[in-house]
Amino acid sequence: MAMVDIRDARKTYDGGFEALRGVDLQIQEGEILALLGPNGAGKTTLISAICGITQPTAGQIEVGGHDVVRDYREARKLIGLVPQEINLEPFEKVASTVAFSRGLFGLPKNDALIEQILRKLSLWEKRNDRVMALSGGMKRRVLIAKALSHEPRVLFLDEPTAGVDVELRRDMWQIVEELRQDGVTIILTTHYIEEAEAIADRVGVINKGQILLVEDKDSLMTRMGKKELTVELDAPISDIPQSLSDFDLTLGSDGKTLVYAYDTAAERTGIARLMAALSEAGLVVRDVSTAQNSLEDIFVGLVSDEQEAAQ
Amino acid sequence: MNFGAIKAIYRNEMARFFRTLAQSFISPVISTSLYFVVFGAAIGSRIDEVEGVSYGAFIVPGLIMLSVITQAISNASFGIYFPKFIGTIYELLSAPVNFFEIVIGYVGAAATKALFIGVVILGTASLFVDLTIMHPFAMLAFLVLTCISFALLGFIIGIWAGNFEQLQLVPLLIITPLIFLGGSFYSISMLPPVWQTITLFNPVVYLISGFRWAFFGMADVPIGLSLLAIAVFTGLCLAVVWWIFKTGWRIRT
Ligand SMILES: Nc1ncnc2c1ncn2[C@@H]1O[C@H](COP(=O)(O)OP(=O)(O)O)[C@@H](O)[C@H]1O
Ligand SMILES: [Mg+2]
Repeated sequence: MAMVDIRDARKTYDGGFEALRGVDLQIQEGEILALLGPNGAGKTTLISAICGITQPTAGQIEVGGHDVVRDYREARKLIGLVPQEINLEPFEKVASTVAFSRGLFGLPKNDALIEQILRKLSLWEKRNDRVMALSGGMKRRVLIAKALSHEPRVLFLDEPTAGVDVELRRDMWQIVEELRQDGVTIILTTHYIEEAEAIADRVGVINKGQILLVEDKDSLMTRMGKKELTVELDAPISDIPQSLSDFDLTLGSDGKTLVYAYDTAAERTGIARLMAALSEAGLVVRDVSTAQNSLEDIFVGLVSDEQEAAQ
Repeated sequence: MNFGAIKAIYRNEMARFFRTLAQSFISPVISTSLYFVVFGAAIGSRIDEVEGVSYGAFIVPGLIMLSVITQAISNASFGIYFPKFIGTIYELLSAPVNFFEIVIGYVGAAATKALFIGVVILGTASLFVDLTIMHPFAMLAFLVLTCISFALLGFIIGIWAGNFEQLQLVPLLIITPLIFLGGSFYSISMLPPVWQTITLFNPVVYLISGFRWAFFGMADVPIGLSLLAIAVFTGLCLAVVWWIFKTGWRIRT
């Protein structure tokens, strides 16, 4: 059973805008999923629909087997949410606002736990400071502390590292790693591809309210590990010669470029063999160049394909 | 029921109150004293007594009602409007609480604060005039019911309000005039007959009359009607709150 199970989730805002257009997504327990997408893709809306901040228009969302609308209490008990915006009560003290969050979940006071969380987030020294006296990065730490105060089993981090300092980003990744060891399921949205690479198990790409791809980070990395060698020929050919069928080659439409895809991680790239085979086949090479696929390319490619299809 | 959440909301709201305790305490004391100086001295010198009660004592129930109603509304409306305004409402919406628990937390805290201020005013007033309360339990019951029902109204206003102006508007334009014209400082029988009839459409008249009855055993309208009025008013507020709960109006997008 998936820890988070989203089936055909749709959200049309009051103005008639369709922010989610049939999202299907299953996230396993203990998994870390990074949701990548441009601004306005629907990342926050999706999280809001799961957490109860917005009412999904259609579809079904379950967390831990509990429907988030019908069985919202059981579902929400499992969920911790770090929102994108820094929404905090300015006059509250750090420790008391974190304790308040725990109270909202109906849990008994646990000073030891709150201390542990505050220490982990370097907030312990600031525990008696008012929220308004903190820097932006510190405020974001408070948001994280609030989300962790009720020991959630599923944690949503909505662009947690947008515009934060390097130190907080490092601490965040550290915390995510510790939570992973505790088996907490984590969903984070981000613009930063490196962030997805650094901490996620799977990567999902969302655009215009639809999930375009969900893939194991490792298999994406393999795709990323693929490099392309473009060989420019002196004279056009109509077909790839039979003698080159061993190689993963594609012929350009002009007949003058051959693209060879190879794996950089492999022991042999096969480039030397290809070169030898080309001259054996009597083809004159004018120029060669290489290009590497990155997650960014995949991402941009997917999003622009989608845009073209929409037009 | 998530009692822990109710407690957390209630205590969080009360903490704000205690942060400004001096202010919460001093302002009703000063304003009550001022009312006594102005109304008691200026008008009281012309009106000795109303139906056998000295004018100074006569205005005490109205004075208490005036502050309690205003405080209940402003505390509750601000209490729920503020999280909407600064965005911390996300926390209430994503916690395992239902709307009813949220209402109990906010309305309970606002009513408590209003009750506290009512008691402070009663105490201050007893420094100025001799007060004997004929029906103390009825007095307390009326006070508590008023605190709760107007805190409910305040909560509804806070949910409805889209900005700070709207938050101030309803109390300023509707509630305050209703209270002042509701017989806080005079007996209905002192008005010309036409106005007596018009006044009976003001719901606050029934509250103040009932409250005054608890103090002095005299009333502008029968006590049963007063009880009915506050019951109907509380019921109406509860019905609106229930509707908000069902539809998520102005809370959940
Ligand atoms: N409350 C709202 N009412 C109407 N439209 C909204 C609302 N919230 C978000 N939107 C729209 O929905 C789309 C998705 O927004 P959002 O989920 O915040 O995207 P992301 O988090 O991926 O940047 C955007 O076009 C945004 O303008
Ligand atoms: Mg967003």
